[in-house]
Amino acid sequence: MECHSAKKISLPREMQKIALIGNPNVGKSVIFGILTGKYVAVSNYSGTTVEVTYGNLNLNSVYQAGRKDRFLIIDTPGTNTLIPMSEDEKVTRDILLNEKIASTVQIADAKNLRRALLLTLQIIEMGLPFLLILNMDDEARSRGIIIDNKKLSEILSVPIIPTVATQRQGIPLLLQHIAAPSCSNFSFKYDDQLEDAIKEIMLLLPDSNISKRSLGIMLLAGDESLKEWLHSKISDSVIKAIDSIYQRTQAKRHEQLGYLINQRRLMAADEILQSVFTPALQRVRGIKESIGKWSMHPVWGILIMASVLFLVYEFVGVLGAQFLVRFLEENIFGRYLNPWAIKIADLIIPFPFLRELFVGDYGIITMALTYAIAIILPIIGTFFIAFGVLEDSGYLPRLAVMANKTFKIMGLNGKAILPMILGLGCDTMATLTARILETRKEKIIVTLLLALGVPCSAQLGVVLGMLASLSFKAVILWAGVIMAIIFIVGYLAEKVIPGEKSDFLLELPPIRIPQLSNILIKTLARVEWYLKEAVPLFILGTVILFLSHKLGLLNAMERITTPLVVDFLGLPAKTAESFIVGFLRRDYGAAGLFAMAKKGELDNIQILVSLVTITLFVPCIANLFMIIKERGFKTAIAIVAFIFPFAFLTGGVLNFILRAINIKL
Amino acid sequence: MKRPEGRQYGWHGGKMKERDQRIDELLELLWMMREEEVKDLKEFLKRAEDREAEALMDEMIEDGLISIDEDKISFKNKGEKKAEQIIRRHRLAERLFSDLFAFEVKQAHADACTFEHILSPEVTDSVCTFLGHPPICPDGKPIPRGECCKKFQVEIKPLVQPLTNLQPGKEGRIVFITPKHHARLDKLSSLGIVPGSIVRVHQKKPSFVLEIDETELALDEDIAKEIYVKEV
Repeated sequence: MECHSAKKISLPREMQKIALIGNPNVGKSVIFGILTGKYVAVSNYSGTTVEVTYGNLNLNSVYQAGRKDRFLIIDTPGTNTLIPMSEDEKVTRDILLNEKIASTVQIADAKNLRRALLLTLQIIEMGLPFLLILNMDDEARSRGIIIDNKKLSEILSVPIIPTVATQRQGIPLLLQHIAAPSCSNFSFKYDDQLEDAIKEIMLLLPDSNISKRSLGIMLLAGDESLKEWLHSKISDSVIKAIDSIYQRTQAKRHEQLGYLINQRRLMAADEILQSVFTPALQRVRGIKESIGKWSMHPVWGILIMASVLFLVYEFVGVLGAQFLVRFLEENIFGRYLNPWAIKIADLIIPFPFLRELFVGDYGIITMALTYAIAIILPIIGTFFIAFGVLEDSGYLPRLAVMANKTFKIMGLNGKAILPMILGLGCDTMATLTARILETRKEKIIVTLLLALGVPCSAQLGVVLGMLASLSFKAVILWAGVIMAIIFIVGYLAEKVIPGEKSDFLLELPPIRIPQLSNILIKTLARVEWYLKEAVPLFILGTVILFLSHKLGLLNAMERITTPLVVDFLGLPAKTAESFIVGFLRRDYGAAGLFAMAKKGELDNIQILVSLVTITLFVPCIANLFMIIKERGFKTAIAIVAFIFPFAFLTGGVLNFILRAINIKL
Repeated sequence: MKRPEGRQYGWHGGKMKERDQRIDELLELLWMMREEEVKDLKEFLKRAEDREAEALMDEMIEDGLISIDEDKISFKNKGEKKAEQIIRRHRLAERLFSDLFAFEVKQAHADACTFEHILSPEVTDSVCTFLGHPPICPDGKPIPRGECCKKFQVEIKPLVQPLTNLQPGKEGRIVFITPKHHARLDKLSSLGIVPGSIVRVHQKKPSFVLEIDETELALDEDIAKEIYVKEV
């Protein structure tokens, strides 16, 4: 609802939409979680939210006692400007443009008020009622920053609410005000030439949820992403007329209009700041700042990275994949659950066929659930804890600083390390996160590399568990081969895939001490998601194996694949089963290899070759659907068509080399 | 050499100045001919666009600026020093106009002709420092070194320099940004990186990291090179 279109801004009682917007990494998702009770991933770096999430907020009515007002809260990806430069930023702008937003809640990082005001001014231009949250009030204070909230509230004529969202400070005040946002009286003008052009364009624009003035300014700033929307609203000739106003105005100026507009806004922001903001006198360098600094040092940074990797390996590969898996698989499942299940099945299921379906060699309980719960769950559980700590510490974006030069060779920049590392959690989610990259070329390369070489947590855990039981040398060899493949394929993709690279420009969040509660909540949410997504597929895969086995298809398939699996890769024929279920999920395939290795059916070289092959193997079904959704059907097919033969080729070549040099693992 | 019209009088206080400017022009011409290793008196008179050149030259000989030996003309010590300063002002002004204001070389040259007469030694040195003590003018001819340039080699740094020249921990106020494409400028400005903002160099390797307000920002060195700052 635009301020000037409605006389009164009291909100009607039906479901109102409230959009949370703000710069990246200011805590929008934390506040969304508090308001709606709905969990969305919260991390300490920009770009955690790449999609819009909706949630409900029920409030005691301010109009009528005993009644509840319901609001639909919208969490949006962070953005520094409402003139979008990447896909996730466009998502936010489109929400304001297309959804019937009643009001907005802007969330600002109190210590970076200047940048927040730049966004505030754009919301004001849009004519949307809003209120302003100054989050991370504690961090600003501890740095000696003083903000005169009262004065800021007077200048902008909207409520200002200081909060420390992670500690729920200031939330009661927010709930008091959220139903009554204000329209700002604050206004500022551009120079005469621009103002004239804005007025001219305004006459040509259709009505929308935001003011014509703001649309006019966006168009003058050269916002290409608006064109599509305009085409659906007004005729081509009108769009041409708008274009010519833009061209004419631009021709008069030496600098780009978009830049002039931004500069004017910054000037306005600085004027406001002067009367309300006292900056930190001297930057205090505490231990956290020093850690942040060392982690990006050309030498110490690498040592820190190595230590982090080592600790994660100890925690996930040793504690999770060896100790906990042994405990669950051998004791809980091996001694108790599976024998019990078999006994119960013997008692209550009269048909051998059905009995076998549940507790046989390819049984739902003895295979699917044992793999999912006993082998993979402890591994991803420990991995998600370790990963959560890293995410919340603010360390991950600093890796981008270390990796930028290497990534440039692959046609990417340091920013791409974020989706790549997220891929270690789940490739499907990471494929979605590729949205934070700017060009199509970069998105395709990252999607390809994720699908090809980045093992997800479940798979990684299984792989580490198996390799760790061999030797550290095996771990290094496996990691070396996979990284070399990623690098080579990335390098070649850079040459082959047409398109542009983009600039490396990445905000580094402050180093923070992770909060235990957030890590636990996040880990639980991820484990729950894993169980929901993976277990049904595990069961499906098991049923397929079971039926194939019963129909004699399994033997036939093993025979057909013998030249490939046995002769070329040098693996036992039974490994084909793992590759078959690997089509559903790579981690399930890996778990099958894990079980074979435990039974001593694979020698050391076979373990390494099979693991490299399954790591590079086709993306899981969920990831494949995500690739189709994000990159299109053609690209998805091309990616799979490349990966499938490539994985086997690499495995075969590796097998040949390892056998030739007769390596001891 | 074309002189700006209508500005000879009343700008620097009357006819005396005008005569000085004309002498300046002749000294400048002699400097440039010397660069081409031409000493011929006839050639000098031909190139001098001054009808009273010979009269002026008499004064110059009297003042100990030049000497004439049969058909050869050459500097005396005093004249050479003076010419050096004129040339320095002229070529620095050319650089200023073409580098900073992106004037065409021809236009830069014409305006430099005005500036060469009016810049004080202090302003000249400031311009020179501002530009980072450039050794040559836009057409590639050498700019005579000044006192500031000699100091530069030991202690003084250029006033305006790419952000990448600053040592880690140093702060600079942005003077101008020269991005390759304007999308880059938009992105930088949405982060508050515009002329007038103060940025601090956090580190240079393995990637460039700067601080603005309370934000740390990693960026390509290529971009940092396009941000020109004045150290504060």
